[in-house]
Amino acid sequence: MTLAHKTPQVTLNPAFTPEGGKMLPQPLRHLRDIRSNAMTEMALPNRRTENWKYSSKYLKLDESLAPLTQGSGMAVGRAVEGAYRVVIRNGVVDTESSVLPDQNGVDIQRFADLDEVTAQSVARKLDTTIDNSTTQIASLNTARIEDGLLIRLAPDTSVEKPIYVQCVTDAQQSGSNYPRVLVEAGNGSKMTLVEEYICEGDEPVLVDAVTEMTLDSNANVTYIRLCMEPDNVRHVGATGARLADGANLDSHAIGFGGDLRRHDLQVRLEGENGFCKLNGIALTQNRQHYDNHTAIEHTVPNCDSEETYRCLAGDKSHAVFNGRIHIHKDAQQSHADMNNKNLLLSTEAEIDTKPELEIYADDVTCTHGATVGQLDETAMFYLMARGVDRQTAASMLSMAFVHELVGQVPLEDVREVVDVRLNQFIEASFKETNA
Amino acid sequence: MLTIKNLHATVEGTPILKGIDLEIKPGEVHAVMGPNGSGKSTLAQVLAGHEAFEVTEGEVLFDGVNLLDLEVEERALAGLFLAFQYPVEIPGVSNLQFLRTALNTRRKHNGQEELDSVSFMKLAKEKAKQVDMSPDFLKRGVNEGFSGGEKKRNEILQMLMLEPRLGILDETDSGLDIDALKVIANGVNSMRTDDRSFIVVTHYQRLLEHIVPDVVHVLAGGKIIKTGGKELALELEEHGYTGLGIDDAEATG
Repeated sequence: MTLAHKTPQVTLNPAFTPEGGKMLPQPLRHLRDIRSNAMTEMALPNRRTENWKYSSKYLKLDESLAPLTQGSGMAVGRAVEGAYRVVIRNGVVDTESSVLPDQNGVDIQRFADLDEVTAQSVARKLDTTIDNSTTQIASLNTARIEDGLLIRLAPDTSVEKPIYVQCVTDAQQSGSNYPRVLVEAGNGSKMTLVEEYICEGDEPVLVDAVTEMTLDSNANVTYIRLCMEPDNVRHVGATGARLADGANLDSHAIGFGGDLRRHDLQVRLEGENGFCKLNGIALTQNRQHYDNHTAIEHTVPNCDSEETYRCLAGDKSHAVFNGRIHIHKDAQQSHADMNNKNLLLSTEAEIDTKPELEIYADDVTCTHGATVGQLDETAMFYLMARGVDRQTAASMLSMAFVHELVGQVPLEDVREVVDVRLNQFIEASFKETNA
Repeated sequence: MLTIKNLHATVEGTPILKGIDLEIKPGEVHAVMGPNGSGKSTLAQVLAGHEAFEVTEGEVLFDGVNLLDLEVEERALAGLFLAFQYPVEIPGVSNLQFLRTALNTRRKHNGQEELDSVSFMKLAKEKAKQVDMSPDFLKRGVNEGFSGGEKKRNEILQMLMLEPRLGILDETDSGLDIDALKVIANGVNSMRTDDRSFIVVTHYQRLLEHIVPDVVHVLAGGKIIKTGGKELALELEEHGYTGLGIDDAEATG
């Protein structure tokens, strides 16, 4: 902390905390005000802030990003067959463009429409799954929400089709927006949630997105997060989940780089026999930046976690992975596996990886592995010895590197959407190496 | 078809091949035998173009073209095929995707039309059956989790698909049981034609009972020290390499 003295504390520009939230029910507006007041004193992360070491310089929260993005209303996202769909445009739920389930036990509402009692309960739940001290910028979300999406599943409800939440940014003008989702999965309920971040327009914008989930006993949630926005979007997001006994979270966080990409994923295993599987893929090229921070808290005995993240960085891009596993004192018989493999496609790309294991119980199994490497020359030779040229061989191997994880995404539609972008990424990565 | 003249090669400055001369005519099967460390696998790898080896002297003509001037993939497209001693596992690239890319690249190179997925699948299944491989293996990652024998069969499958002019089998028999050995041998024998040649690199004679060579060379210390007919292999079987005055235990690199 002594060093911190020497760096002048830079606080958030007041332009980022104007009055607002007029559509919100009173309890949520109240919460918003509290957060908003707190934000004015918050020191912005700088390079001495450990968990923002590599990313703070890309934040650039200047005044131009402060106003809310205002759309033409033309950006509507894509239609998905065989799925429910909620469009959140510029942080506000667009009910008209949405296709909602009409199923007993499935309650999907926008924050603006909540009655007083529900709004009170939602206000109590918000910010309870994410450690605000480690995700400073994500907490800005609560201070700026204009709306939000509540998904509640009654006990033993299984949502028939996946629910796509498409967070669309209209970037006709510079600004920012703050999508917010709260999922409450009741005992034994089951759902697949796909969060898809997209943007139309070229102006620089900030998207600060937060999703929180509580999984009651034996609830089962598949969570797929797709960061598909173009370069002009700086995306900082956080996802928090709390799992009760026997609950199961299957997470797939896939993203393509931009000026700034940051995702914090925090999972708390709070009941015995909980299980989470966290897969992640980050792809960067040109001068893009991608920073994944994950934290798994094993707070009780007999829970398992499996984490596999992969980064592929080309050109002069930079990818960061920080994976924390915290096994609390009483969490005996915990099993935690973390694996992070990284592939550099260029000598000028950079990948920083940091597994952090904190273990206070003595009867646990934890494994972790992190590697940063280049394309395997033995495999390259093998492919080329069959007549495949160097460029194609390199493309195939790079594709394979991430495909092992794409293949685990349980929705074909998502795999296809990712593959299209992946092909563009790979094509662009290797177009100049064929000298 | 293949003419090797005074070929010298080093790995990290250490000479391995010290003047190889070899002439292979169309349709011939040549066995290259020798103790461990004699340089026989190096010869196979040098012909395929592995970067770890530096050719310091000599010349290799393949159908009249200077092979050593060609890149690895150009050699393959010219019709050279190396069946690897240690086939590489490539998780995430399916065997099918790999085979199809390789086959269509070769077809395109030869001015043939690329195969569509239906005709390709038909061909792949047919050839897989020929090497006694379940079609399930086609969908798996290249050699991913394959046993030793499955990997070698996969090499032969690739050879059957790509139909090279010259097949080089680098100790394809090592670690195979007799049934797998026969499958491999049948695959190779089915491809023997008047204009296709093979180099069969092996330590032991037993593969040569099933793939009968026209010529047998014995390689030791980076040179061919003896050349003969198929009976030379039998002679080696009976008397061992020591019978030729070679110390089999001197094996290095």
